[in-house]
Amino acid sequence: MTISRREMIQATAAAAGALALPSSKSGAPVPPLPPVPPKFFTPAEFALVDELSDMIIPTDQQSAGARAAGVAAYIDGRLAESFEPEPPQRWRAGIQAVEALSREMSGTTFMESTPAQRLALLTRIAAAESDPKTDAEKFFKEIKGGTIRAYYTSKIGIHDDQQYKGNVIQPGEYAGYDAT
Amino acid sequence: MTLIRFKASQEQDVDLARTYDAIVVGSGAAGGMAAHVLTSQGMKVLLLEAGKKIPIEQELRSMEWPYDHPRRGEAPPGYHAIRFNEYTVRKPPYAKGSAFKHVFSYVGGWGGADYVKNILVDEKDHPYTGTRYAWVRARLLGGKTNIWGRLALRLSDYDFKGKTHDGYGEDWPISYADIEPYYDKVDLYLGISGHKENLPHLPDSLFQRPNKLTAAEVKLRKSLATMGRTLTPYRAGVTTDGVKHNKYRSKCFGRGACGRRPGGCDIHAAFDSPTGLIYPAMDTGNLTLRTNSIAHEVLVDPHTGKARGISFVDAQNHRTYEAKAKVVILAASTLESARLLLLSKSRQHPNGIGNASGHVGHNFCEHVMGPGVTGLVKEMVGAPPTLDDGKPGGFYVARFRNLEDKQPGFIRGYGFEGGSGFSIFPDSAWDTPGFGGQFKKSVREHAGAFISMGGFGEVLARYENYMDLDPEVKDSWGIPVLRFNYQFGDNEKKMCEDMANAGKEMFEAAGIEVVGVDKNILTEGWSIHELGTARMGTDPKTSVLNQFQQSHDVKNLFVVDGSSHVSASCQNPTWTIMALAWRSCEHLADEFKRGNL
Repeated sequence: MTISRREMIQATAAAAGALALPSSKSGAPVPPLPPVPPKFFTPAEFALVDELSDMIIPTDQQSAGARAAGVAAYIDGRLAESFEPEPPQRWRAGIQAVEALSREMSGTTFMESTPAQRLALLTRIAAAESDPKTDAEKFFKEIKGGTIRAYYTSKIGIHDDQQYKGNVIQPGEYAGYDAT
Repeated sequence: MTLIRFKASQEQDVDLARTYDAIVVGSGAAGGMAAHVLTSQGMKVLLLEAGKKIPIEQELRSMEWPYDHPRRGEAPPGYHAIRFNEYTVRKPPYAKGSAFKHVFSYVGGWGGADYVKNILVDEKDHPYTGTRYAWVRARLLGGKTNIWGRLALRLSDYDFKGKTHDGYGEDWPISYADIEPYYDKVDLYLGISGHKENLPHLPDSLFQRPNKLTAAEVKLRKSLATMGRTLTPYRAGVTTDGVKHNKYRSKCFGRGACGRRPGGCDIHAAFDSPTGLIYPAMDTGNLTLRTNSIAHEVLVDPHTGKARGISFVDAQNHRTYEAKAKVVILAASTLESARLLLLSKSRQHPNGIGNASGHVGHNFCEHVMGPGVTGLVKEMVGAPPTLDDGKPGGFYVARFRNLEDKQPGFIRGYGFEGGSGFSIFPDSAWDTPGFGGQFKKSVREHAGAFISMGGFGEVLARYENYMDLDPEVKDSWGIPVLRFNYQFGDNEKKMCEDMANAGKEMFEAAGIEVVGVDKNILTEGWSIHELGTARMGTDPKTSVLNQFQQSHDVKNLFVVDGSSHVSASCQNPTWTIMALAWRSCEHLADEFKRGNL
């Protein structure tokens, strides 16, 4: 059998979406409303997941980020139909941990805090990535994994960002080099 | 271009009142080959397959983009693939007590579980017991050939005459010269892609157009050559130039979905038994196929002790039927054929048919895997994306241990399977730390810069490693299940240590930065290369079959799958299974015509 070594031994992660942020007192730009209401997340939870995912994979000069790729909506859809009760519980608890940390660090909710405060929070929970201990730190790994899975399987991720060349018919020779 | 798909011949009515010339049990590589060879010799054959026939192209959908699938390839809620940890902390039956609606082997966890959910067996219906073992089974027309990894290698006399070489185990009752013409026939009939290397320990096939390599692989190939080792393009059981005699198959168009799922090719450029062997056999008019037919006993003539047919349960209506034939050929897979032999107890064959030696189920062997290495090719960092995965596979590093040298810690050898370059999903993202613009840029720049390979090593055949029938547990059809008594030994563990070290050394010698060395051995069974359990040999006291895969005890009973292999070698077995089955069935047809069976 052939398969990447990673896939052979890795459990599958959750996956990604499209968005909705409430108006922000901090004056940050207000993203468009979600096309459909979230299925699992509350609107506030959805906004947080959408914002965090787009901070993890933001828009840059090459390609649009997680928000445009619909990462949060994809994650929401998978959690809404989850057969196991644990993943939805884990995500909800993780979001609550982030909110608690936000109140501790900024005195307000994550989405009500300023972009600088959000970045400070994300930087803090990401610092322990290799050995997460708190619930908020563990949630960083959860949402980063979900964002990676959803973003790099999206049209934007595959075509705009990675500029993937395969999954096309090659009528003649394979691309690549001869074994000489 | 347009690919024209031919429908398979209509299934003929199965006449259970009739005595067929031969019954073949199982429709994978071995059973398909038996059906092909026997029908082409004019024999009237009934092929029994335990699983169903499904519209496989609709399952595989080889070119479907992840974002066009509602779950990006994952299976619906309630489906569960057994994880590595579950195999290591628990013992089978792994689905016992599971809250999930459907439970599958670990292969269902690879990228694209939804594409194999109707191909792999549901572990809830198919339990087994005993020692831990990751048993991957595909019950459908064609069996595991529908999703196999396609690496198609020949064995050599280093394998067939292993005992002569190092004193361990038993030699096969054949040599390379006996099987070489049949390897050639398989190559020409099915098509195989590869590059000639002239290695005595990894004989060349009659190759069609080879795979290409990436720049990183060329670099490693050149470096290994200076060490006297060989990296060759993946030798794939894929027709890259087409097989003009077969209207059911297309040549390979390098469409690039090959590496991201558990095998499978919806244009059948990769060999699968239905399009490669069974449909053409049906076109002869000599083959009758019955699916959903779970064989559970080889019937015995009470007067002669010979096989007279097969008793099977219909998978759907659970009724039992008998099919009659002059010759019975088992090709149900290494483990299922052994199970069937053991289930077939009678007055004449109290230990199970063909088991006077007591060796059925014993001498089990396979490939051990897990250790491997991942490297970063620095000059590829930031290189523009290239088409690297539009081909049937990556590369193979041929065995180099215990050929002319003698390793202090272990006997026999191993090869590496590997790959590199850009693929549809940047796996390195999982291991890239941080977040934000820097993270995103790093993933992009490194996406094509990694190369990795993992070892496949020979597990020694040992009598103490065996499977028998569980006295209590039964499957969903009331048939006693297999109980495993098998684990890796010291030779495998020492070999695996060497795999990891040698892989690291080879990457370093090529100037590839080693970023990961995996030393963990994966659960027994992980390679899906189970072999032995009814081995061939010249001595009826210590073997089950003769050199033509014919039972020593029952002359009209043959077992033509991997259970007949005397040793595992380190090369992937499918091509050898088919070459052996071709040779044996040609002999069988001759003997049948002479009235000797």
